[in-house]
Amino acid sequence: MDSAAELTKPGPRIMPYLAVLQHDLMTLRASRLVQLWLGATVVLTLLLIAGNWTQFQDGPLIASLLFPYLVFPWFFVVVVLGVSPVSGSRADVLADGILSRPVSRFAYLLATWSARVILVWGVYLVVMVPAVVVVTLAKRPVPEDTVTIYGSITALGVVGLVLTFLTSLAFLAGTLLRRPLLALVVLVFLWYPVGLILSVFSLEEFSPISLNRAISTQLRQTLRTSEGSTDGGARAEDAQALPERLEHFLDVFSGTPSEPTATKPDFFEGEEFSDFSLLRVTLGYGLPTVMAVILAMLCFYWRDL
Amino acid sequence: MESAIHTEHLTKIYRQRLIAVNDMNLDVPQGCIFGLLGPNGAGKTTTLRLLLGLQRPTAGRAEVFGNLCGPNAVDVRSRIGYLPTNPKLPGNLRPIEYLDLLGKLCRLPGQRRKPRISALLRTVGLLGATDQRIETFSTGMCTRLGIAASLVADPPLLLWDEPTAGLDPSARRFTLDLIRELGKVKTVVVATHILSDIDQICNHIGVMCEGRMIFTGSTRDMKRRLRCDDFRLELDGDAEDIQHLAGDLAGLEGVDARLGAGLAVLVQMTEGRSRAGTLAEVLKLVDATNLSLKAVHSGPNATEDAYLQLLQEHEAHGFRR
Repeated sequence: MDSAAELTKPGPRIMPYLAVLQHDLMTLRASRLVQLWLGATVVLTLLLIAGNWTQFQDGPLIASLLFPYLVFPWFFVVVVLGVSPVSGSRADVLADGILSRPVSRFAYLLATWSARVILVWGVYLVVMVPAVVVVTLAKRPVPEDTVTIYGSITALGVVGLVLTFLTSLAFLAGTLLRRPLLALVVLVFLWYPVGLILSVFSLEEFSPISLNRAISTQLRQTLRTSEGSTDGGARAEDAQALPERLEHFLDVFSGTPSEPTATKPDFFEGEEFSDFSLLRVTLGYGLPTVMAVILAMLCFYWRDL
Repeated sequence: MESAIHTEHLTKIYRQRLIAVNDMNLDVPQGCIFGLLGPNGAGKTTTLRLLLGLQRPTAGRAEVFGNLCGPNAVDVRSRIGYLPTNPKLPGNLRPIEYLDLLGKLCRLPGQRRKPRISALLRTVGLLGATDQRIETFSTGMCTRLGIAASLVADPPLLLWDEPTAGLDPSARRFTLDLIRELGKVKTVVVATHILSDIDQICNHIGVMCEGRMIFTGSTRDMKRRLRCDDFRLELDGDAEDIQHLAGDLAGLEGVDARLGAGLAVLVQMTEGRSRAGTLAEVLKLVDATNLSLKAVHSGPNATEDAYLQLLQEHEAHGFRR
């Protein structure tokens, strides 16, 4: 039969996946949330660059630009984007419009997940890549730093992976709990104390704040040094710079200039980042991401619409 | 002949509490227009959603053209065109964008999709609304777009859930005519509780009540189930004379008569009696009285009567159990 033969070809087989992906991307792009997020992230990045122009070296400055994605406020936006595709009243529209057509639930869920991940990466990279280029290439009245292309790509990749993980976690929570608001509250209560939970299991390198501390060091890594040693440990001065960066970040919101802080060389002595490894972090976020997507699919497969 | 739809002991229980579909055995022949009748909450929509794989059966099985239904039964859904009741459509899209999306979901290549969309929009009378967003559409326009959406892939089986709900008389007439035309080349299942629609278009009927299929068969079979043919005589005259006439009519062999609402007498015949012969005898008796005959009604709502009778029998059967 002609139609049966057509279905076995790869083009027609992925056509529903591509159609849902394209439709979801268009819908998300047109949503107010995404437009506001894009505008706000551009403004905040500009403010952070301008506010810290003469304060930090390249590494700490780029790390301060990535801080909103890892901790607050963009974490929240990413979770909101991920939480809604198959929950609440959307299920009716889905059932009537898409899932009553010849589309498998697997293809549908994969397409909606992909659309959200692509959108989050798109907004993140559209803002961050030019910002990183400007920060590293501009002549600023601060000591020279040794940020590398490899380091920049891997650091951006790690933060992107965390965002992918967050989207997938929100996706799973939305699918499991069905109510977007409930899923959102659960995730917020899970995410913020995550550092405490991870430190109990000696996995603090996976916490968003620890990651942000280590990013300055990762930015200075080269492919050779990375291959030579798996412990891309954070430098003590980078660790010291964190509270300062955090303060500057909060100053941007409050509008008050920060006061110079006294250096406390012994403050981070108890902290250990020597076991920070790009591979471990990649696996640490990558595997739960895959698990979250698989669980969401299983959950959605068994659900009645 | 292979059935378009076949179910065996199909059962759906929600959260161990509500029995929506109860041990349903159903065969819908190919090429018929099948009316799925039942009061609100009878389980009609749930049955359609089970066939589409949007819900999983608690027990039993459902097949469409010999293929098992389920959430990932893409091959089953590729042969079904579904129209939900008051379809919820993506308001941010325009009709062409929506139908194009559905065409892609049905894996239609571009060179087949575009002309099909334009032909469908013309058929459902939405060519003039192609630049409007769906969110601005009225209920009737949404239903018409839903009809077009169900026909995008030209499927051999159509499942339409209350297709005339919320339509004005001309749109309703258009929809019924369309079903009649489509029924010549496809199997159409129309779930509704509007009996006049069923009367006009369906040649097979299934009656559901409280999740059970209490009757399946042809429309003619269903009408035959009525206890007997009825005449309703509308008269003018003295109430006492009318009561006297009812007594005389009841004296005829194989005839039962009783007073109806207003100045009317209801005449029921037992099976096997000649309809014309009985009517002649009835009219002769009326003529012998001082009453004037205003009208004779003969089973104008046969389907409705048969349907109500089925529901009553089902209820009584339930009490006896």
